[in-house]
Amino acid sequence: MGYSFSREGFDAVLKALARTYRIYAPVTFAGQGRFTDVDVVRYDFVTDASQIEFGKKSEYAFKELLTPLSETLFYFTEDEVKEADAQPGEVLVFLRSCDLHALKRLDQMYLGNGFAEDPFYKRIREKLQFVLIGCPASFENCFCTSMGTNRTEDGYLFSVEEQDGKILCEVPSNLKLKQLFMENGAWIEKALPSFVEENDVRVTIPATVPNSIYKAPLWDEYTARCIGCGRCNFVCPTCTCYTMQDIYYTDNGRVGERRRVAASCMVDGYTNVAGGGEYRRTKGERMRFKVLHKIYDFRRRFAYDMCVGCGRCDDACPEYISFSNIINKVDQFVKEEKADE
Amino acid sequence: MNKNPYVPFSSEILDVIKHTEKEYTFRMKFAGEVKPGQFFEVSIPKYGEAPISVSGIGKDYVDLTIRRVGRVTNEVFEHYKGQSLLLRGPYGNGFDLSLYQEGEVVVIAGGTGVSPVRGVIHGLCETKDPQDKYVIVGFRSPDDMLFRDDLKVWDEKLRLTLTVDGAPEGYEGNIGLVTKYIPDLPLKDPSTAKAVVVGPPPMMRFSVQGLLAKGFREENIWISQERKMCCGLGKCGHCRIGMRYVCLDGPVFTYVDSKDMID
Amino acid sequence: MSDVNIKKLKKNAFRYSKVRGETASRIRIPGGLVSAKSMARIAEVAETYGNGTIFVTNRQGVEIPGIAMEDMDNVNRMIQSIIDDSGVNQEERDKGYPASGTRNVVACPGSRLCPFACYDTTEFARKMDKAIFPNNLHVKVAFTGCSNDCAKVRMNDFGIIGMTEPQYDPSRCVSCEQCVKYCGLRSVGALSMVNGKVVRDTDKCIGCGVCAYYCPTRAWTRSREHYFRLVLLGRTGKKNPRMAEDFIKWSDEESIMKIVKNAYAYVEEYIDRNAVEGKEHIGYIVDRTGFDEFLKWIMEGVELPEIAQINPRPYWGGKHYDKY
Repeated sequence: MGYSFSREGFDAVLKALARTYRIYAPVTFAGQGRFTDVDVVRYDFVTDASQIEFGKKSEYAFKELLTPLSETLFYFTEDEVKEADAQPGEVLVFLRSCDLHALKRLDQMYLGNGFAEDPFYKRIREKLQFVLIGCPASFENCFCTSMGTNRTEDGYLFSVEEQDGKILCEVPSNLKLKQLFMENGAWIEKALPSFVEENDVRVTIPATVPNSIYKAPLWDEYTARCIGCGRCNFVCPTCTCYTMQDIYYTDNGRVGERRRVAASCMVDGYTNVAGGGEYRRTKGERMRFKVLHKIYDFRRRFAYDMCVGCGRCDDACPEYISFSNIINKVDQFVKEEKADE
Repeated sequence: MNKNPYVPFSSEILDVIKHTEKEYTFRMKFAGEVKPGQFFEVSIPKYGEAPISVSGIGKDYVDLTIRRVGRVTNEVFEHYKGQSLLLRGPYGNGFDLSLYQEGEVVVIAGGTGVSPVRGVIHGLCETKDPQDKYVIVGFRSPDDMLFRDDLKVWDEKLRLTLTVDGAPEGYEGNIGLVTKYIPDLPLKDPSTAKAVVVGPPPMMRFSVQGLLAKGFREENIWISQERKMCCGLGKCGHCRIGMRYVCLDGPVFTYVDSKDMID
Repeated sequence: MSDVNIKKLKKNAFRYSKVRGETASRIRIPGGLVSAKSMARIAEVAETYGNGTIFVTNRQGVEIPGIAMEDMDNVNRMIQSIIDDSGVNQEERDKGYPASGTRNVVACPGSRLCPFACYDTTEFARKMDKAIFPNNLHVKVAFTGCSNDCAKVRMNDFGIIGMTEPQYDPSRCVSCEQCVKYCGLRSVGALSMVNGKVVRDTDKCIGCGVCAYYCPTRAWTRSREHYFRLVLLGRTGKKNPRMAEDFIKWSDEESIMKIVKNAYAYVEEYIDRNAVEGKEHIGYIVDRTGFDEFLKWIMEGVELPEIAQINPRPYWGGKHYDKY
């Protein structure tokens, strides 16, 4: 069932929801981009509908809520370990179709890889509900259509989309919500969220990738171009890697806290082991490792691709390296290898 | 018992054995089930958590051989007897000892790679045909040798080749890389023999090449991988190689699997 | 044309040329940003009245050479659209520039173009030009976006160097250490890691913004306020060329506007009335009156932000060709 709201009407809905949920949504941070007087859109908690950025792709993904960039896991003393407290309360997360697909990948890693669930992830995840932001048009660098993440049929409380100054919401099934929506807006027949049906960027994912890809010359270019800053990983809604970090309050190193911080397979130190061993030194090797994970290795383990085609990595790369372009180069390489057989 | 797999438990340090200037074995109180080749995440004071493979298993203890690196001082390593360390684990698949009971078996280990196979070699000593069990152990130099007491026992019970990469003049033992001794192994039937190879990546690569050249079958070769591991639970991502996670699916892999595990 | 008031000609932004009877029109481009339309007009003047060439000057103006002195009125009419377009103050329309003493206000491309710049140099330069031009006193002001000082503001009486006060959000820091690395490589090495987070040595930090530029997670961002380092009394010249010295670190825009304007009053008071062509660099006047007197005048009514640090005793070295 659909509803149409004025801005004030929708704000009243949001304020009412804020009594039950903490609301997490894309927000424009003025002047906090890389360059002077350039904004950045990233996620934050909001209390007012006007704070939500509906018109832009968030540069950083919602995953920061589930897998914080820096998270204290517990505090330890000589003989005791105390888990850090969790944030209380249910959270309502505003996100787009690609990101809702990304959530499945995050769950896969933290809840479905290996013998144990990640309790720190789970305790946040259990409290999340989602609001789907409609996408009337593709943003730059998006290739969700190629990755099959452009549409989302379920997994959200309601959808929201701005159309001609009105805010439209579709509520699949929730009586309580319907009442709240009725009080603040008008019932309309159709308020279905828009889905992107076409992107300027298209990729072709090879079904299988031969081992010859490891020695393919296509990676050399990235050894020269990539600066190993890790932005592609930090903005990616499906990257989940982290590094453990101990902080000591005392000289004997027996009292302190254990944190985990987001890690990037492009950044120096990712593969370093005690004693100085490093398994991927060149940026080209790291690029290959990352790209194959997103479009092949993850699928070999879990039967679907990791990349959701949001294009944030391309948006963020300071060296203008295009991930989607690399996918197509890999596909080309695979086709040529097959032709040579 | 805390169900949170990240929360370590406290384990008493029963003994500390110094092997070299940098390598120490900590005998830790532990009564659970462990296999050689598995590892623990050990909280090393002033360093942080590190994956350490089990180098010895007793009824109520495990041995963890730790190399002192970086900021960690001698004080941390030499004055902890009677104190405790925080541990998590054991993690990883470990070696299946039942595979190496009968027939000809070759274990090739380099440097700290001896730790994860120490239990395997102990197992070989207890088999009924120890003279069919070959062990090639290499260290960088005579000063870098680990488990000296074990080496003597292995030499008596099994067919041990102990070698060093280099040594000062006057050293009477073998000098040369472990790979040098593979072609001359007096095996009756390499096509049915089994091999375990653990050590630095180039050493493993060349050893496996040597074994294949000798006639070993790919499915009869096992290796153990060492990678950065922050969780041991398949979450942190650091140890992934291709579709596999060393902490979950390894660290022990057959050569058939490890063939397409390229970093 | 034999009777030309050369003093008036110079004041009207024409050049005394070595070719008798010829002059050059000096076009002012405050902040170094000029519209394509004005650029076309400059070319048109050069084609119509000049010799078809244009000098690009060191201070971001242009000079159109080869103009016959008879054509100065025509040229002034023709450059009116350029003056209008650049927003430079004028006294009488179609009469060209009213002064030439205070030099074109220079600026690097700044935050309109450059990823390192800490503010809009063009805008500030234009604002400054509006405030100090026309004036016959020989004053040089230049703006540069960051501590790289591409505009070489340290060769000016007043050099303004953009700064940002780095803002750190430890909850967004992943200890990648790129800020520490690049602060060391590209800047002054003011950052260090302590317990997995970054500590900034605020005394050492020059506010260049390299940390915010390299931070991949927005743990480091730029301050909402734009700050400036003001450097004083640099100069070229025959007697005692020298680099400008640091005066204020973390100044605000308003204070800089006031200080520069105050300096004009100081010069009016103390300039050597017998100076050749009435031209004396401020620095030489300060050498004469002492810095304290200068300080008293320029800080009149200036209220610096709390963060500002003032250097009350700058010392200038440089080459002294006039003394042994």
